[in-house]
Amino acid sequence: MKEQLEEIRRRALDELTDGASDQQIEAVRVRVLGRSGELTEVMRGMREVPQAERPAIGQLVNQIKRELEERIEALKLRLRQGALERSLAEARLDVTLPGARVPRGRIHPVTQILERMLDIFVSMGFEVAMTRDVEDDFHNFEALNFPPDHPAREMQDTFLVGGGLLLRSHTSNGQIRVMEERKPPLAVVCPGRCYRRDELSVRASPMFTQIEGFMVDRVGRITMGHLKGVLIEFLRAFYGPETGVRFRSSYFPFTEPSAEVDIHCLLCKGAGCRVCKHTGWTEILGCGMIHPNVLRAVKLDPEEFQGFAFGFGVERPALLKLGVDDMRLFFENDLRFLAQFPSLAGGAA
Amino acid sequence: MKVPLKWLEEFVSVDATVEQIARRLTVAGLEVENLERVRASFSGVVVARVLDVGKHPNADRLSLCQVDAGAAGRFSVVCGAPNVSRGMTAALATVGAKLGDEPELEAAVIRGIRSEGMLCSERELGLSQDHHGILSLPDDAPLGTPVADYLGLDDVVLDIAILANRGDALSILGVARDVAALFGVRLHAPRTRPLRVERHEGDGASSSFAVRMAAPEQCPRYAALKMTGVRVAPSPVWMRRRLELCGMRGLNNVVDATNYVMLEMGQPLHAFDLDRIAANTIVVRRAGSDREFVTLDNARRALEAGDLVIADPEKPLALAGVMGGLNSEVGLSTQTILLESAYFEPIAVAKTARRLGLRSEASYRFERGIDRAGQTAALMRVAELLKRYADARPEGAIADFEPRPAPVREIALDLNRMSALLGVETSAAEAKRRLVSLGASVRRGEARGTLKVIPPSWRSDLDEAADLAEEVARLSGLEEIPATLPARVFSYAPANREREFFRDTREVMLGAGFTEIDTLAFISAADNEKFAGIGHGEPLSVHNPLSEELREMRRSLAPGLLAALIFNLNRQATALHAFEIAKVFARVKGEVVERYHLGALSYGDYALSEIGRPGVKAGFFTLKGVAEAYLRALGVAERVRFKAPAPEHPLAFLHPGRSALILLSEEPIGYVGEFHPQDAMERGLAEQCTLCELDLQKLISYGLSPRPAIEPPPRFPAVRRDLALVLDREFPADMILKTIREIAPALLESVEVFDVYEGEAIAPGRKSVALALRYRATDRTLTDEEVNRTHAGLVEQARTRLGAELRQ
Repeated sequence: MKEQLEEIRRRALDELTDGASDQQIEAVRVRVLGRSGELTEVMRGMREVPQAERPAIGQLVNQIKRELEERIEALKLRLRQGALERSLAEARLDVTLPGARVPRGRIHPVTQILERMLDIFVSMGFEVAMTRDVEDDFHNFEALNFPPDHPAREMQDTFLVGGGLLLRSHTSNGQIRVMEERKPPLAVVCPGRCYRRDELSVRASPMFTQIEGFMVDRVGRITMGHLKGVLIEFLRAFYGPETGVRFRSSYFPFTEPSAEVDIHCLLCKGAGCRVCKHTGWTEILGCGMIHPNVLRAVKLDPEEFQGFAFGFGVERPALLKLGVDDMRLFFENDLRFLAQFPSLAGGAA
Repeated sequence: MKVPLKWLEEFVSVDATVEQIARRLTVAGLEVENLERVRASFSGVVVARVLDVGKHPNADRLSLCQVDAGAAGRFSVVCGAPNVSRGMTAALATVGAKLGDEPELEAAVIRGIRSEGMLCSERELGLSQDHHGILSLPDDAPLGTPVADYLGLDDVVLDIAILANRGDALSILGVARDVAALFGVRLHAPRTRPLRVERHEGDGASSSFAVRMAAPEQCPRYAALKMTGVRVAPSPVWMRRRLELCGMRGLNNVVDATNYVMLEMGQPLHAFDLDRIAANTIVVRRAGSDREFVTLDNARRALEAGDLVIADPEKPLALAGVMGGLNSEVGLSTQTILLESAYFEPIAVAKTARRLGLRSEASYRFERGIDRAGQTAALMRVAELLKRYADARPEGAIADFEPRPAPVREIALDLNRMSALLGVETSAAEAKRRLVSLGASVRRGEARGTLKVIPPSWRSDLDEAADLAEEVARLSGLEEIPATLPARVFSYAPANREREFFRDTREVMLGAGFTEIDTLAFISAADNEKFAGIGHGEPLSVHNPLSEELREMRRSLAPGLLAALIFNLNRQATALHAFEIAKVFARVKGEVVERYHLGALSYGDYALSEIGRPGVKAGFFTLKGVAEAYLRALGVAERVRFKAPAPEHPLAFLHPGRSALILLSEEPIGYVGEFHPQDAMERGLAEQCTLCELDLQKLISYGLSPRPAIEPPPRFPAVRRDLALVLDREFPADMILKTIREIAPALLESVEVFDVYEGEAIAPGRKSVALALRYRATDRTLTDEEVNRTHAGLVEQARTRLGAELRQ
């Protein structure tokens, strides 16, 4: 029995040479140490060994087992070490090849600009309210003091959907909707989609984005001076602290006095160029003190309350800011355009 | 409105450059959009008198003229014009003159006779197409003066955008009024010799014609003047030139004079050939039963009963305020005219003009509101011009019919209230000065710090105190109002839920690699039928769409996403992973419903792995995974179920076997699925295209519901046991999970599908679903024995309940 064990040991060690391969080592391990390997076979034969010799044989089996296991472990370690050294020496990546492309989304530039604008207003104390796109004549026109024959109420300017309903032509309906539900003091901006019967072109789109804003409080607490202050603050926050701002008298049915606001042309900074038709100014928004008739329409007494309102489109300032001049870019969704915007907050703004 | 500077300067003179005037007007609401410098198309042409006309010795049709050009000298000129006559004042192009694009004029020998210049026709001077003879100038034209200066051909034209409420500024005089008020200088209104006016409160007759005012609501005032002995001819060059600079064309001296006065004073005028008016009677009435009418432009116009017309007892003569008729047009044979100067209500004119698509200079002015009291002054002015340039004589007085006098508007202006509105103090004196400069009459009110203001008749837009505040602010300059920030107690206002929600939604989609797009809400009826959306409801259609392609409001975001895909594929893109958050529209039980949806589309390579290894293609499970990630982010995944649509109600545009309804608490809120292969083929899509859409309206409230309590990470390890169940191929995986969760022992922490196998080792029509089950106790490390016992119990129950076999 002992000789038999020695023979097993010798043969195994002969095969476990320094140069043995992984497979050779594994073959030895399975043959000798495996569940039905040579050593197990020997142990099965223990019954035939006289009682007195059994401890010694058992000891020897364990010793051989340990010895072979250590030898195998050592060889395997050597092999791993060798493989590692070889790989360190040989494996070289072309680190200049591109990495795996991870999907990455972008936020539409109009969203980015709109969000940036809303952030500014929110930081100035305005709430955000969203209202209906499909509106009735009262909220889109009548309550806003549009005379019954105003051109904007004509079929050629506003989309009608029947039943006295239309697609709002501006977000000014938000003013009416909010003031119908809540009493002043109010400071609200209403972003949303508007619709006008213009073909999609370089300059116009039948659907576009506007922000309407208004502030209403008791008489004397919100003045035209405040309107100027708030808008200048906003425009400088959005376009830069040096932006020149000009208020120009104008006319809107729903404000009195009314004004149009120009900023210095972003291209020539007010010097005059082709883009601003050599005026140095770019028209950016309309505003004014809320017309007494508008307050009356929402059952507020103009002797008691007053406020200002303003409204502007988002796409045009977005074009100005991005330095491109084609409205269609926003609605075509050409990836080659969209992919230029960083997918980071405030990327475009 | 085009305003030639020289014309403007006849009424107001300011010590400022035209640029300064333009800037000031612009800020005050008369936006000068352009300054156009105009010049004569010639130089070296002077005023000259023909002293003598002799025959050219060698040509029958030519004459040899001696002309005196004052300081420029005397010349001998060969002329071929039939109208050249002795004593005539004409335009002489001297040697060296430039006429249009012609080379410089040289002295020439014509049929053996030397000519030291040329007498010019209007065409040669670029003034008109007239080449019948040479231009005849007034006798008082100073000899030797450059003709360009004499005719005032070098000028600057201010192109002003007139606001809708400023009908008063649609004239040279109107603009001059604002210039005078802005610069604080005097206005010189046109001076005319007054004519006698006979006033009538209703119908009436002068000695030679009668007027019946049958529609005082639409026409509260109608003034008319008869003129006789009219000689119809071309009007003088300077007048035609001015009309032209203002965008009108010269016709004849009568029509031109009426247009000239309209441009100058803002009062549209019309001249009828009185001999063509029956019974010398004008009737101002509604069209009534008259059905059609031929306007001056020789077009047949359909009338409606409510249209206001000027008629005689037999027939309509003019569309009031819009256009005259061919049947009473002034022509070369006209000798007697009736001049009309009326006030028509803006709405009456607007309705007719718009319906007929007939916008004239007159209708434009009536629509915006003309001077309510300017009728007789305009008649006096035009009478003067016609006397001078058409030899016409007024017959009788101006007959002025006013059945409905203008109400007197007196507005109380509280100066404190005005300061409170504008945010700047204005003294009573300052306010008064500003308002008076506009033509208002102003007196002190009874209460301290108040004014009583009667606005001028031409400012129909001034109705209440706020309007006057605007005028004061406008004239003082908005820059005088200091910009301040409101002192306001900012109470906490909750953030807008929708906005926050969309922002969160965008963040998830961005994280999943999707790009946001923006599409028009209009689609074709066919697309709206096919992509009926989730909420159902009838399509909302636009009554006046821009095109059939944009006829309806979308019920689903899918068509827009597909359009964006095709657009990009046509531009060589190979993949698109896009989403949109936008409204969809429908009519539900007659009510218009608008809801926010999230739509997503996935096409082509989703993620590219390293070079040399295959990338990930987008498919059903890519987009379902994105949807799941989103629903998990909202914390509603537990309440959501994906269900294959019933075979009899598939989502028509999706692959019937590769699409699912998304249910939230068993109510459909969306779908995910592969675009129907048939449609994909028709659209030339080479790869699988997957669509997903969710109704966000329901999710907004869920998304903001409180999150479940947060637990610390477990302290003891979990033990995993796998299980493979063999079931019918059609058996849905989520039923297996649901069943296991129902029978789950307390120790089961989670169960997940990790593989599905169909193939050789499995009976046909069956599949093997491999599940990973995790067991964990919160208070101890589980022993193998405990796990084995629990797992064996669960496996046995699951097997029986599901009727499955165990796969060994």
